[in-house]
Amino acid sequence: MNDSPSRVSPASDPATVSDPAAPGPVPLDRRALLGAAGLLAAVPLLPAPPAAAAPDPAADARAVRRALDAVTADTMGGLAVFVAPGPDPYSRAQGTPRREPGAIEAKVPAFLVDALDRFLPFPDQIAVPLIRALAQGAGTLRLPGAAGGDAPGAAVGRVDAGLRRLLDNDATIPLSGVVALLLNVQAVRVHPASVAGPFTAPFARLPYARKARVFHLLEGPDPALVGTLDRRLPEPLRGSVSGLLRFLAGTLLEVTALGAYSEWAVFDPATRRLTGRPVGWQVSGYTPSIDGWDEYRGYYQGRRKVTG
Amino acid sequence: MRDVIVVGAGGGGPVVAKELAARGLDVLLLEGGPHHTDPRASWTHYENDANNPLTGFLRFGPADRRKPAWLREEPQNSFILQVAGVGGTTQHYYGNSPRAYRGAFAGYEGPDRDAYDTAHAFPFPYAELVPYYEWVEATLPVQTAAMGTKETVFFRGAEKLGIPVQTTKDTLRASYRPQENAILQPGGTAGRTTDPARLVYPRATGCTYCGFCLQGCMEPVRAPRNQFAKRSTDNSYVPMALTASAWARGGRDVTLVPDAFVVRVHTRRRGGHTEAAGVTWRVGATGERHREEARVVVLAGGATETPRLWLNSDLPNPNGWVGRGYTDHFLDGVTGLFDEDTGSSKGPSSAARCDFPGRGALEQLGLGPANQAFVMALSGSGIRGRYGNGRGMTGPWDGRAGRVLGPELKEALLHGVNRLVNILVLTDDDVERDNRVLLSAFPADEHGAAPKVALDGRARSRRTNANREFLARRAAELLRKAGARRVYRFDWAPLLLHVHSSMRMGLSERDSVLTSDAESRWVRRLYVADNSALANALGGPNPTLTTQALATRTAERIFTRHFGGRPWVRAEAPVPSTDPRISAAL
Repeated sequence: MNDSPSRVSPASDPATVSDPAAPGPVPLDRRALLGAAGLLAAVPLLPAPPAAAAPDPAADARAVRRALDAVTADTMGGLAVFVAPGPDPYSRAQGTPRREPGAIEAKVPAFLVDALDRFLPFPDQIAVPLIRALAQGAGTLRLPGAAGGDAPGAAVGRVDAGLRRLLDNDATIPLSGVVALLLNVQAVRVHPASVAGPFTAPFARLPYARKARVFHLLEGPDPALVGTLDRRLPEPLRGSVSGLLRFLAGTLLEVTALGAYSEWAVFDPATRRLTGRPVGWQVSGYTPSIDGWDEYRGYYQGRRKVTG
Repeated sequence: MRDVIVVGAGGGGPVVAKELAARGLDVLLLEGGPHHTDPRASWTHYENDANNPLTGFLRFGPADRRKPAWLREEPQNSFILQVAGVGGTTQHYYGNSPRAYRGAFAGYEGPDRDAYDTAHAFPFPYAELVPYYEWVEATLPVQTAAMGTKETVFFRGAEKLGIPVQTTKDTLRASYRPQENAILQPGGTAGRTTDPARLVYPRATGCTYCGFCLQGCMEPVRAPRNQFAKRSTDNSYVPMALTASAWARGGRDVTLVPDAFVVRVHTRRRGGHTEAAGVTWRVGATGERHREEARVVVLAGGATETPRLWLNSDLPNPNGWVGRGYTDHFLDGVTGLFDEDTGSSKGPSSAARCDFPGRGALEQLGLGPANQAFVMALSGSGIRGRYGNGRGMTGPWDGRAGRVLGPELKEALLHGVNRLVNILVLTDDDVERDNRVLLSAFPADEHGAAPKVALDGRARSRRTNANREFLARRAAELLRKAGARRVYRFDWAPLLLHVHSSMRMGLSERDSVLTSDAESRWVRRLYVADNSALANALGGPNPTLTTQALATRTAERIFTRHFGGRPWVRAEAPVPSTDPRISAAL
């Protein structure tokens, strides 16, 4: 298990990895995976190489990583409002806008990234094989054709190579990125149209009912997804995917609920004081009295003590 | 060489430590988590800061909060809620201290005998434990709970269920009552004001109705540690253990070492038998390892960690029951929305209950908004109105059981967190062989192979499921009769909070790990004194009091068998943990 505060460390800079094979033509299923993962958003981020020079693979991998961070943030936004909608674009996109503040105002996307990447004791040795299995097995999931189909093949090839490069380095993909990839691949499977639209993440584009369908599949669990992942996991982890997905689905929803209605966004750890009124308190009418309440209502039937 | 090493300073370990320290033994008490010696300097009353299971100060993880929580594998939708540190999970418990149901013990011949898990009964009669209950009840002490607004609402419903009020410690029939809580009841200004200036000890004594049981008790302000209202072991047994020489004639203060995670139990061969020899622990801050020897070793790391330690130590397991028989009361939640103030987030968090011997129990449950949202988002039945995972039960609640999420969760909380009443369902669940702790194939952490807790909420025994359905219906009926205008049932996924019997004592050598004295069947001088030693799920009542009574009995057995002493529980009067000599010595 990673014992450091962060799974994302300077030591894991993709530039330190040996060069992968030069990108060739990208098969359709790989292009579909990149689209489902939202990673075609990396195309405009790819650095233009100097004239007549080959692209820099490490720089391309960094661009893919930046795209993954953006996709992750959007995915967590989509998840946050699934649990606690508010007056934000993510809630509007899922068709449940609210006037009162919700999970976006409670900064739940950042809360989730922090929780997943720094504190959830989920071993990298599990997370990395999972995401590799997903990337390798995309063909069996029959993902719909990617948006960005008009992206030049060479650029898509560079993004694909960049992703492979990230996956070759165990410490480069944070757990929040793994979760985002999982949710987005499932999003395009339950709702192919989500491959295009606002945000970078297909999951964030789903209407509420389709998000529920994604969690239904994760909890079900979805035999196609389980089969795809299980076949590619190393022993002794093979066979553990359905349980992992059920645990992950439940934990994501429960921890999101806790964060959305907690004080996290306005808590200053240095002073252990609040800098504002938490969203959860505003919504629920909660106002604590720090040292006690005048709530004593006497003893039931006046009985202060019972016998043996 | 120490006389006794106790592994774990949670609900049970400090009981053994305190009792044996009072007899003058040299006791080393090791705790894997932190010791919060000055809660006001490090705790808050905020829900995420306290209770976030990954980051909170009351989490199962190392003292250094910059590090991740400790790893457990859960191969299903479930959630382990355990707390590391001195006081263990009692730091966030509600102090509920009911006795077990009599039918959970050998020799019970009541007319409802067949309603219990008799195949896995305690290996001695209920009457055997009563003197130990009395001893612990006087030590903590346990007191009849006063009411707040939420209890008046709960009782309004309970009075209409057609069951009598219970006025005894022993539960004899289906009934309702105020909780018997390990909480000092309000005195002086406590419970009568919100003015902080008037809520200072000794003007205020006992429970101040702050509503923060789940965030750890540090009330009233300026009270000595052993006068804090809630009697979690960090406020009761641990202070007694640390000051034994001050209040017990011939007593010897316990040596407490926090941040010391035991990673191995050592044994030796003597006289043709295997016996405990000592332990090795890892210091969290430095990674150093230390080893000490002892005449007796007592394991008390909890129902998940004790079998893990056993298996990682390569100790014998000839019948395969180490880690098996894990019970959890298959908890469930039912919540009613009211058109009146219920004060759900105020006062002691659970002060009223119903008991249904042969079925389990119900208890009222107060929460702040974040934990309220958490429990409403927890389910084995999917998301209400969307999917049900083949469950989604119907009954006297509104709609199907399942998670309340999104707009529906928002509406429920907008209704007001103090206009809810929650009921916790505590199922009398069966000891089942396949519900178990084993070693995970995940990469090991710094303490060795991680525990894997296999307990699928979708595959429980017929009796367990029937009991849970009965109780959920009664909970919904209670809320309706109390005036709820809307009732939700969640069908929680296993919330592993009341966990027991994974190192169970039992009548049969074929399906138990411990003898009736809580000594290992296969390693002499090795005892277990946490919830894992319980033979079963007690019939449904909250486990801590019974674990503490059993740990007292175990301490007496250790002292008489290995140190030539005499038993004391029937011969002496206990010193309460609030004794001023303890306050002075602290």
